[in-house]
Amino acid sequence: MSPTVNLSTGERRPLLRPGTSEVAPTADDIVLSTQHVSFFYGDVQALSDISLDVHRQEITALIGPSGCGKTTFLRCLNRLNDMVPRTRLEGQVLFDGEDLYAKSVRPIDIRRRIGMVFQRANPFPKSIYENVAIAPRANGQRGNLDDLVEESLRRAALWDEVKDKLKSSAFDLSGGQQQRLCIARAIAVEPEVLLMDEPASALDPVATQAIEDLMQDLKRDYTIVIVTHNMQQAARTSDRTAFFTVDQRPEGRVGVLVEYDDTNTIFTNPKDPRTEDYVTGRFG
Amino acid sequence: MTSFHLKATPADSAPLPQRQGARARRALSRVDPMRVVLGALALIPTLVLAFLVYKIFSEAWPAIRFNGWSFFTTKTFTMGNLYGSALEHRNGQVAAGGAQYGVLAFVLGTLLSSLIALLVAVPVAVGGAILLGEKLPAVLQAPLGVFLELLAGIPSVVFGLWGVYSFGPWLSRSVYAPISHLGLPWLSAGVSSNGQGLLTSGLVLAVMIVPIIASITRELVRSVPGNTREGAAALGLTSAESVRVVTLPFIHRGIVAASVLGLARALGETIAVLIISGNALNTYPVSLFAPFSTMASTIAAMLDSALTDSTGMAVHSLAEVGLVLVSITLVVNFAGRYIARSLGTNVPIGRGA
Ligand SMILES: Nc1ncnc2c1ncn2[C@@H]1O[C@H](COP(=O)(O)OP(=O)(O)OP(=O)(O)O)[C@@H](O)[C@H]1O
Ligand SMILES: [Mg+2]
Repeated sequence: MSPTVNLSTGERRPLLRPGTSEVAPTADDIVLSTQHVSFFYGDVQALSDISLDVHRQEITALIGPSGCGKTTFLRCLNRLNDMVPRTRLEGQVLFDGEDLYAKSVRPIDIRRRIGMVFQRANPFPKSIYENVAIAPRANGQRGNLDDLVEESLRRAALWDEVKDKLKSSAFDLSGGQQQRLCIARAIAVEPEVLLMDEPASALDPVATQAIEDLMQDLKRDYTIVIVTHNMQQAARTSDRTAFFTVDQRPEGRVGVLVEYDDTNTIFTNPKDPRTEDYVTGRFG
Repeated sequence: MTSFHLKATPADSAPLPQRQGARARRALSRVDPMRVVLGALALIPTLVLAFLVYKIFSEAWPAIRFNGWSFFTTKTFTMGNLYGSALEHRNGQVAAGGAQYGVLAFVLGTLLSSLIALLVAVPVAVGGAILLGEKLPAVLQAPLGVFLELLAGIPSVVFGLWGVYSFGPWLSRSVYAPISHLGLPWLSAGVSSNGQGLLTSGLVLAVMIVPIIASITRELVRSVPGNTREGAAALGLTSAESVRVVTLPFIHRGIVAASVLGLARALGETIAVLIISGNALNTYPVSLFAPFSTMASTIAAMLDSALTDSTGMAVHSLAEVGLVLVSITLVVNFAGRYIARSLGTNVPIGRGA
């Protein structure tokens, strides 16, 4: 990686504007903290009572069966669910100790600091270069962004494949390449937290390895929350692991957090039998 | 899957005589009757158009001979003395005495009024449709669509009446009169009390084509993948930035197509313009406020008296005007296609994850 490149995004806006009420302080090493979070799509509850702390400069893995609410939970952390009509969040999400859902907080400011890579690649209908450069430029970076674009694409393990066609459409890329482009796009703005929703599901082993290397690299400065269906990946890369599952209740199927601990503990000595069944592959 | 069924059904429903056996049957299925039928159906509009153009062309042919090139370079369009006995002979064709046919003023009138309509309507329609499509709550989306479609279905004569009884007089009083006092070129001469003229027509045409362009744009906006829009939001882009990097690149080709549709409507609009244009003959539009004529409105206005021309040349010449109008509309359509194709590279069709 070229050390001359300056990835700084410059000035960051304060999360809270003056006059916001103080909330209970949390430990300094906790970036994101959800407290008794329940989430509803209309009348249908998707998450129930999730309390989980994301630690700074760590990789937190979210695992669990399909439909247990991992994506929903992740989207609560950057307020992306605000965009889905008729949804409701109960409980509290704290970001650096401040209420993420306070009235004075603008979702746009949050999302510049908490980036996201989606489960399905969603590049913009623009050139490869533009896909990476758009957000830094919108955030006020002036001048030549070539170095930033190159650096971001390199870190996402895509540079060698696209360096000769930066001006061609992002839609000309394969699905896996598009996913890496979306990773490059997300890290180009240097978010403090990066939420990754199964970033490797469309990638081959080489690209997957590159993304895992990237995560280790990013971890030195940033915080990562990753959803994965790949137990090895979770065990390999993460510091802590949260196991979600679906709870059958009279009112319907609801996502719950079963166990959250050091990754080592979750995979070698889980407390809950449901966790053990899942990580050892005995889950239904 | 579907094409398999399409192939299989006609062969089953029309079994061949036993003797010809499997071979002929296979040959038939290679030809694929469904495709032949569909291809023939698809050809029908083209054939109808070709037939129409041919008919107009043959009706116009004597006039093309009579008028020559000056048809395209002069502004005077007069049928001559239909009741006198003197006749005009040219190129082996006969017209009423003093007859003279030039289409240029009408061409200018058509192009200018439609251009005004387009310049006003596209930003309003596209901007409005994007704004409403992205910002309006879901419950109001359906009523909005119905409203736009209703608006697009209002007969043009109603717009004409509104233009001449309400909108035009208001424009004349409150806008044209004050501005014309400034004595600016193109913005002073020819103000009439009911506002009949080029700008009023252009604006009424704009009102007429806004619903067309807006309802198509609204559908386009709805087709933009929400996943991509969320991608923009997740980067902290504002909705304006999201429109620029997501919505517009996805729909700009469609906007061109919608605009061409609106433009074609404006170019061909007859009755509304006839009412509001002021129907000025034999003159170029002298200002934005002054009366003028278009090709379509002139055909409608003159056809009745043209039919009394015993030489037939008046009707032939109106057919030639129609031919020019059709040609311009076709050129606009092809230009629109070309622009749409050259715009933006490729928007995804089943590519990627
Ligand atoms: N936009 C939505 N509207 C209504 N219900 C939704 C919506 N998105 C998700 N759900 C529901 O919420 C529950 C959790 O979905 P979610 O996508 O969070 O699961 P997941 O754990 O990410 O699953 P997967 O591993 O398959 O990606 C599911 O029952 C799903 O049907
Ligand atoms: Mg998911």
